[in-house]
Amino acid sequence: MVLLLQYTLLFASVLILVALGGCFSEHSGVINLGLEGIMVMGALGGALTLKVISPELPAIVIVLAVLLASTVCGVVYSMLLAFACINFKADQTLVGTALNMLAAAAATVIVKTINIAENPDNVSSTVQYVASKKALVVSIGSFQFNWFMLVALLALIAAYVILYKTRFGLRLMACGEHPQAADSVGINVYTMRWAGVLISGMLAGIGGIVYITAGVSEWKFENGVAGFGFLALAVMIFGQWKPVNIGLAALLFGFFRALSNVYSGFDFLAALNIPSSVYNMMPYIISLAVLAFTSANSRAPKAEGIPYDKGSR
Amino acid sequence: MARNNKIEKESFLSKPAIQSIMASLLCIVIGLLIGYIALLIINPVGATEAIITIIKNYFTYPSKAAALKYLGNTLVKASPLLMCALSIQFCYQAGLFNIGAAGQYVAGAGASLFCALSLGLPWYVCLVAALLAGGIFGVIVGLLKAYLNVNEVISGIMLNWIGLYTVNMLLGGVKEVSSPYTLSIANTNPGALIPSLGLEKLFSNNKYVTIAIPLSVIIAIILKIVLSKTVFGYEIKATGIAKDAAKYSGMKEKKNVIVTLFIGGALAGLGAAFLFLTGYEQWSVTQSSVPGMGFNGIAATFLGGLDPIGTIFASYFIQHITSGGSYLDKNVYPSQISDFISSIIIYLCGFVLFFKFFLNGRIRANKERKEGGNK
Amino acid sequence: MALESAYAIEMLGITKRFPGIIANDNVTIQLKKGEIHALLGENGAGKSTLMSVLFGLYQAEEGVIKKDGKVVKINNPNDANDLGIGMVHQHFKLVQCFSVLDNIILGVETTKHGFLQKDVARKKIMELSDKYGLKVDPDAKVEDITVGMQQRTEILKMLYRDNEILIFDEPTAVLTPAEIDELMQIMKNLSKEGKSILFISHKLAEIMAVADRCSVLRRGKYIGTVNIADTNQEELSRMMIGRDVQLVATKEDKTPGDVILHVENMTVPSKLHHNNAVKNVSFDVRSGEIVCIAGIDGNGQTELVYGLSGLENITSGKITLSGKDISHASIRERSLSGMSHIPEDRHKHGLVMDYSLAYNLVLQRYFEPQFSTKYGFLKKKEINNYAEKLIDQYDIRSSQGAPTIARSMSGGNQQKAIIAREIDKDPDLLIAVQPTRGLDVGAIEYIHKQLIARRDEGHAVLLVSLELEEVMSISDRILVMYEGQIVGEFDPKKTTPEELGLYMAGAKRKEAGA
Repeated sequence: MVLLLQYTLLFASVLILVALGGCFSEHSGVINLGLEGIMVMGALGGALTLKVISPELPAIVIVLAVLLASTVCGVVYSMLLAFACINFKADQTLVGTALNMLAAAAATVIVKTINIAENPDNVSSTVQYVASKKALVVSIGSFQFNWFMLVALLALIAAYVILYKTRFGLRLMACGEHPQAADSVGINVYTMRWAGVLISGMLAGIGGIVYITAGVSEWKFENGVAGFGFLALAVMIFGQWKPVNIGLAALLFGFFRALSNVYSGFDFLAALNIPSSVYNMMPYIISLAVLAFTSANSRAPKAEGIPYDKGSR
Repeated sequence: MARNNKIEKESFLSKPAIQSIMASLLCIVIGLLIGYIALLIINPVGATEAIITIIKNYFTYPSKAAALKYLGNTLVKASPLLMCALSIQFCYQAGLFNIGAAGQYVAGAGASLFCALSLGLPWYVCLVAALLAGGIFGVIVGLLKAYLNVNEVISGIMLNWIGLYTVNMLLGGVKEVSSPYTLSIANTNPGALIPSLGLEKLFSNNKYVTIAIPLSVIIAIILKIVLSKTVFGYEIKATGIAKDAAKYSGMKEKKNVIVTLFIGGALAGLGAAFLFLTGYEQWSVTQSSVPGMGFNGIAATFLGGLDPIGTIFASYFIQHITSGGSYLDKNVYPSQISDFISSIIIYLCGFVLFFKFFLNGRIRANKERKEGGNK
Repeated sequence: MALESAYAIEMLGITKRFPGIIANDNVTIQLKKGEIHALLGENGAGKSTLMSVLFGLYQAEEGVIKKDGKVVKINNPNDANDLGIGMVHQHFKLVQCFSVLDNIILGVETTKHGFLQKDVARKKIMELSDKYGLKVDPDAKVEDITVGMQQRTEILKMLYRDNEILIFDEPTAVLTPAEIDELMQIMKNLSKEGKSILFISHKLAEIMAVADRCSVLRRGKYIGTVNIADTNQEELSRMMIGRDVQLVATKEDKTPGDVILHVENMTVPSKLHHNNAVKNVSFDVRSGEIVCIAGIDGNGQTELVYGLSGLENITSGKITLSGKDISHASIRERSLSGMSHIPEDRHKHGLVMDYSLAYNLVLQRYFEPQFSTKYGFLKKKEINNYAEKLIDQYDIRSSQGAPTIARSMSGGNQQKAIIAREIDKDPDLLIAVQPTRGLDVGAIEYIHKQLIARRDEGHAVLLVSLELEEVMSISDRILVMYEGQIVGEFDPKKTTPEELGLYMAGAKRKEAGA
């Protein structure tokens, strides 16, 4: 039971971070379908940091270093999206998809190259971080508290405050709703959209490292992040682009994702003898169902997905 | 005057095609260049040789017979890729981004292999099964889109994973005892192999070369005709360009969305059968990632300038460098460098539309200026 | 000390070119301090471009702008704002899901440590609101408030920024007559308080009522500036159009024939809010008459047409076309039963913008045996020939004829193409929704002639219009719509714009349907 709670919170943390990322990007007017790829790059940065950092260092240093590395990777990678979609008005779906594929390929190439450099016979795309991963976790009884849960909670609060209480948030949302209006009062739509995308890069990057350190101590980068970036988008839509709702939606989805990790620990579930594939499918089926019920009346930012062109009014 | 008009019309028509080809070639060159730079970073010593290997693919074999045989292999894989690309391309004409092609491909693979191995059905029935399975996956996306306004990209991705795990479960019963791979069709039910009708002889007796390859090219040509010459194509494209205008004119835009995605799904499903029913590949029931064929199809689609005929060449090219990647020395260069190049090319394709738009704007402006000058 | 300039803003010799056209050709406008200066011109005369240059949205190729006699450079709306120039755009620049207050402060927010200080803003807004008589609810969401309040929000946006030069771009188009009177009063108050106002309009009566001076543009060229006290509507009209125009269309009297369209208790839901947009409406349209639905924008006219054309399902009621019940027929069935529809939004509904003109001209009939084989192939040659015929007959001008992409055509010719397509179907009933919006006088005259020709040939025409002038001049019968209902039926010969205005504003109503 504790394990279920732990995994639920962990996966919910991932979904909160990434969905908030999507939320910032879409509120600025850019649909970020590249979240999946950004997660992979963030995960890569974090995993490599965990790999090379000395496990002897204080836990807080390790946590911060990992956060920093994932943030930087996520932000830098998201620039590719911002550049193409904002400055060159590229098809946001196409570029997002390209980034997902590029991230999977690039991460695999990078990890393999590193592995080969260490040992020419190791052609796997796996990064191991058993030792330093311990720094991320604090045991409270049988519950393993993960620092990233706190990070997700802080991100949630920060997102709420930034979007609804600050000048930046007001301007950001104006750009996603009515960029011409924002432009007419002197707000630089391009700058705000860049900001939205970069924030999404930061959050998705962190989400990536949280995802690959949840439960396991090594990660095979050929596998990417299993559609979690898209699950996060489903969470965002279910949460109607509002931080608090996103938090609740993430808990629901996190629960179903956690079930597939720990169902064998529950006697009554194990006794049902349902194939593991069914549990694996659950989050995707749930999200499909949820989307079916929430999309018809969704309150997406009005101008999302439409490249802003100063010339056309 | 009439002739003048005609010349103008012709030059107008030829321009977009030429632009597309130019843009695609530019993407390829830049993509390969970036790939080369990556190789240089990984290991500068063999980088030049490595990029040449990728480009040469089967030509690395000195004997003509061997080269032909491996050309056959590249074609065997290019044909399902072409089908996935056509799936995405067809849907894109109707304004739909069918990223679910990957899952429709998986569904097609599951259905065709299940029919072949578990039910012992002949190849043509397996093909139909794959077509329907892919089509049904497409229809789900279509229904969700048409009636519940669900973004087809997100529902497509969800269905990719649902499809993967379902097929893993479904084929769990027909796998080899000692490995996670499905049984060999040649040993279990040879009647389920797509016939080659002598095509294999052209490729040094490469038994995987079947009529699937010419069939996929024929399907591409049919799609080209459907899109450019038929009432259905007129409606699909109108729906894609201007959904509201299509509705206004009385087209059933919801029905069109669903039919389009059925056809898209059927194409991708059929593509999977075109590969798995040759026996070239077996399905691994423990695989935990969606096969990349559907995603590579996106690259081929856009590289092909969103035209079925262009897509034939683009699919071949993408498969060519992907196959080429497998000839790299695995202990020096990761073979995924080919995927890396493909995805760079897709990314660059994002700029193509802008590039063309920009170019056309310039041409139009120039023309108007000239015309203005004449007055 | 230099002599203080009498002008708040001067735009001297402004030339602005776009690919293919010269939008402003050496235009000069001088706005005196504290005056209301009207800028008059037809659609496409270059008024909006000129104001966009002043507001920093475009940069002029030639000419200078002076503020208080000093040359200034305006590169973006921020520069304009810094110079105290504010603008109420024709299409409001308001974020629908924001509150009035958020919209007003957007871009000039007061913050403390990065946090918004909305209370400070609210106080200032309420002060301004009291001072100028601009009633708004600062906490209401823009999507929930009336168009009039949205406009007051836009005005408050300028005042909140302490702008001294206020530009109003066609501000009356969306208002009820009462709201227009109120706006005129507000503008006068503002000028009394020392604000200088540029008032863009093509409505002569309003300019006569409120402006001190008027500058006229025609086809991008500056025609002249006159004192309102020394001129009259006829002179302004001549300056605007360049010739005398017969704005009132001529038509013979005609006795209407059989009922073509019969609508009984029709109710249509709204996409925007939960209420029904059209409530229990009944009326007839007969052959040989033009029935006009008049009303202020947003009183259910759009939904009425959606219900008639099938773009929206009606929730109750009955529609009969030439004796056939089409209440629940599909759009295509209605079209085949003899209904044509010139849609309100020609870009969204009327045309597939990236299709050729030829393809667009068969948009309603591409499936007919004339244009496609029984195997589902298009007969391209026939389509082209048909297109050439319509292009000739209806004088549709484009750069390359039938293969021209619709997007590259001018608005007037796009509309001509739609009209040609819809009329050539020879429908029993032609529904035309704001068919002349945004067009110049020549195109307007042309379209009016076409509508009257349909009527004279003995067909039914249902016209939806926001322009009272148009309503009065070409209709045989007028139905006024207010809040989703028909509140009055009038004979144009026996009514006045003033009377119609009262009904349009909801101040009066009578049972319709005789």
